[in-house]
Amino acid sequence: MGMIYNRDTFLQTIARQLGREQILSDVHRPNWNYTPQWTVFQGYSQEELLSALEAQCSRIHTDFVATTADALATTLKQVVEQYGGGPIVTWDDQRFSEYGLLPLLEAEWPSENVDVHIWDASAGRKNIEWAEKANVGITFSDMTLAESGTVVLFSDAGKGRSVSFLPRTYIAIIPKSTIVPRMTQAAAFIHKQIEIGRIVPSCINFITGPSNSADIEMNLVVGVHGPVKAAYIIVTDR
Amino acid sequence: MAMKIGADSFHQRVEAGLHNSFMRGAVAGAQERLRTRRLDAAEELGNWEEWRALGEQIRQHTLLHLDYYLMQLSENVAKRGGHVFFAQTAEEANQYIREVVIKKNAKKIVKSKSMVTEEIHLNAMLEAAGCEVIETDLGEYILQIDDHDPPSHIVAPALHKNKEQIRDVFRKKLAYDKTEKPEELAAHARKMLRNEYLTADVGITGCNFAIAESGSITLVTNEGNADLVTALPKTQITVMGMERIVPTFEEMEVLVSLLTRSAVGQKLTSYITVLTGPRDEGDVDGPEEFHLVIVDNGRSSILGTEFQPVLQCIRCAACVNVCPVYRHIGGHSYGSIYSEPIGAVLSPLLGGYDDYKELPYASTLCAACTEACPVKIPLHELLLKHRQIIVEREGKAPISEKLAMKAFGLGAASSLLYKLGSKVAPNALQPFTTDERIVKGIGPLKAWTEIREFPAPAKERFRDWFREHRKERERDGNDL
Amino acid sequence: MKVTLFITCLVDLFHPNVGKATVELLERLGCEVEFPEAQTCCGQPAYNSGYVKEAKEAMKHMIRTFEHAQYIVTPSGSCATMFKEYPHIFQHDQEWEAKAKKVAEKTYELTQFLVDVLKVENVGAKLKGRATYHTSCHMTRLLGVKDAPSRLLKHVEGLEVVPLPNAHNCCGFGGTFSVKMGPISEQTVDEKVRYIEETNADYLIGADCGCLMNIGGRLERTGKRIRVMHIAEVLNSR
Ligand code: SF4
Repeated sequence: MGMIYNRDTFLQTIARQLGREQILSDVHRPNWNYTPQWTVFQGYSQEELLSALEAQCSRIHTDFVATTADALATTLKQVVEQYGGGPIVTWDDQRFSEYGLLPLLEAEWPSENVDVHIWDASAGRKNIEWAEKANVGITFSDMTLAESGTVVLFSDAGKGRSVSFLPRTYIAIIPKSTIVPRMTQAAAFIHKQIEIGRIVPSCINFITGPSNSADIEMNLVVGVHGPVKAAYIIVTDR
Repeated sequence: MAMKIGADSFHQRVEAGLHNSFMRGAVAGAQERLRTRRLDAAEELGNWEEWRALGEQIRQHTLLHLDYYLMQLSENVAKRGGHVFFAQTAEEANQYIREVVIKKNAKKIVKSKSMVTEEIHLNAMLEAAGCEVIETDLGEYILQIDDHDPPSHIVAPALHKNKEQIRDVFRKKLAYDKTEKPEELAAHARKMLRNEYLTADVGITGCNFAIAESGSITLVTNEGNADLVTALPKTQITVMGMERIVPTFEEMEVLVSLLTRSAVGQKLTSYITVLTGPRDEGDVDGPEEFHLVIVDNGRSSILGTEFQPVLQCIRCAACVNVCPVYRHIGGHSYGSIYSEPIGAVLSPLLGGYDDYKELPYASTLCAACTEACPVKIPLHELLLKHRQIIVEREGKAPISEKLAMKAFGLGAASSLLYKLGSKVAPNALQPFTTDERIVKGIGPLKAWTEIREFPAPAKERFRDWFREHRKERERDGNDL
Repeated sequence: MKVTLFITCLVDLFHPNVGKATVELLERLGCEVEFPEAQTCCGQPAYNSGYVKEAKEAMKHMIRTFEHAQYIVTPSGSCATMFKEYPHIFQHDQEWEAKAKKVAEKTYELTQFLVDVLKVENVGAKLKGRATYHTSCHMTRLLGVKDAPSRLLKHVEGLEVVPLPNAHNCCGFGGTFSVKMGPISEQTVDEKVRYIEETNADYLIGADCGCLMNIGGRLERTGKRIRVMHIAEVLNSR
């Protein structure tokens, strides 16, 4: 349990300025007069959302590669090669095994002298060093937003934050079923989880393409602090 | 007042701004690009006005229940093991942060962009306490290594610098030996900063939106620097203005959508990061310790007044990007870290009329800001309110103007006086008139005619003509 | 149809020709025009400078003068906006708020009146040459009259209307701003003049005498041969 300092006077000042007693309970959000966020891509099929996502990828400097579950390992290998190969860092995530990627991570790449580090909570800060040296970081997407071309990542012990930030290239594997219209659906999902008492992960990332900046004369530079390149691999039959 | 920059008078700064032709070109170009991008992004949605109405309603609801939501926020942060410090003043905030930093024996601090830490002059305090403070947002980093040049735009702080200037600063301060290409400059900054993140003891961030229901904070960047600032150092301190809060993830989402579209015309920026408490049990990255500092610093005195809408602001700078005055004088002229138009409303409220009484007048009231604001703050009306207060309560208006306005009140409220006054005007101005034009006026007319011609009052006023015209029509048998 | 003319002080004193054109135009379109002699100024100069008390005196006088009109028409977007603001300004004064509302509701800027009430777009005007149009801020943003002028101008025989680059930018008039913040105003109007020149227009047309005095005064001072016309004068050309 953390500490809270100076709260009472602070909040009382606010209440006084608002001309009333402090409100401690029973505040409910009103029914908002407009809810335009729900109309974006309303009624789209998964197929239509996928093409919206593809279109958006070209605007966010992100490569879009479609594949199937069977061909995923081969595709992943090709894409990694295109970006210059290892070292590679990945999440420790059930889905790598569900999607048949472990042979690639644990046998094929190492046999070809490609360094692969799977996040290992027990190794502590070593993970960060790996990630910092890695050329490619690979994660799955937990939810994917078609409108903005965004992958949503929920952190946990095996799903380190650094995998998506520190390597030069970031690759997200996106099962088609994770695609929703926009951030609205992701936010509503998280809100529901909180309402039923689930714990929010300590870090939720909404990542949209590689890192970039327009701070120098408004010229877009892709690749500043985070990844310089990004690719989405869509698994169309999952 | 801490948010003040420079000691020059407003008019001196304006003079400097108007003579800085690179800055003006850069600002005008940026304005046009950002405006087009924002309009495209809004148009794509098709129902932008509904979005704005929703944004406004969310912000108003939150402000009206601010004590409740801050209570909920702080409870939830504490539940997750984070510490919350409520700071009434800038000094209190700085004092607390100083204590944390000293307790952690921190030598190196990395920061991601935050207006409120600029406002409370946090960096100066930390440096005085012996810490090395490194700004990591590229624009802020450039300004910092250039001997703390102040920011001139709330979203693009180094907008007033060109790439050659940046190259020279890099050469002088960072042993840089490449060209002025933005890619090369950015790559160098990346290299320099990477190591700083990895070796920093404390990370300090601002906060775009805190989420009450979960005790989370939301950070919005394109560079990804806020992620590194919060993932790598062992201690994280987040500083937020007390109004930067929403009830739930659902409202955060709407405001983030409004923010990124309005600020840079993007559907979302590259990194939207929602952090809750310190790292979880078993996590490797993320801070071991998390402190949230909630700052009032004059904000509560705006609540409950006619200026309350200004607290709806989500710091997107859309208003800055359409402002015709900012366009020509740039951000430094305002003498505040918050530039026109939001700054012209906010600075006198947070910093007082003594320092900022000119700002509300540095506006043509063209309402471009009001039209652009994604949360519907009536900015130009609030500027008018300031003018009213300066005249009526602060008594800071020039005497001559007061007299003229008094006369105006009398004249315009009485048709007789108006008619008389307007009848003698042509004769009164006769000595200054050449060829139906006034080229050299006196009083307020002097300021006008220094720049442009002024028409001499017509010999025959409209009303005189109309009287004749009516008679004529009657003579012609028209049924008037 | 009976139309009550609110001529504005700028037109009354400095640009009577605009007033004459307005009257002739309305009469030609079958309106019966009346002009209450008691009218003075809408109060905007004082109001916008922060002298609300003084401004309110003028406003009350104007409300009294116009409250019995059927349609109030004015050749100024800015002054029409001011009338529309009256109820808001008197919001804490029930009696005057009610009266102000009545006045505000029947107030029309000239082109708005022609297009929305009289439902004419072709007024039978003729003017030879090339023109560009300055969209005044108050008229477009606050009054919301955006396309009535261009719809009317499109039908003026012989007139070619070319778009003004960056038309949305303010001309830098801003009432007392033009004298209080002279140097800034100068730069703003200079930029406007540059764009006007770029169009190679013979005429600069506008619907607000304030802006036209500012731009016109600068055009003249800098020796530009572009004729400034109020839209009423254009629509009354035959
Ligand atoms: S006032 Fe409105 S437009 Fe200006 S920065 Fe704030 S939210 Fe954005």
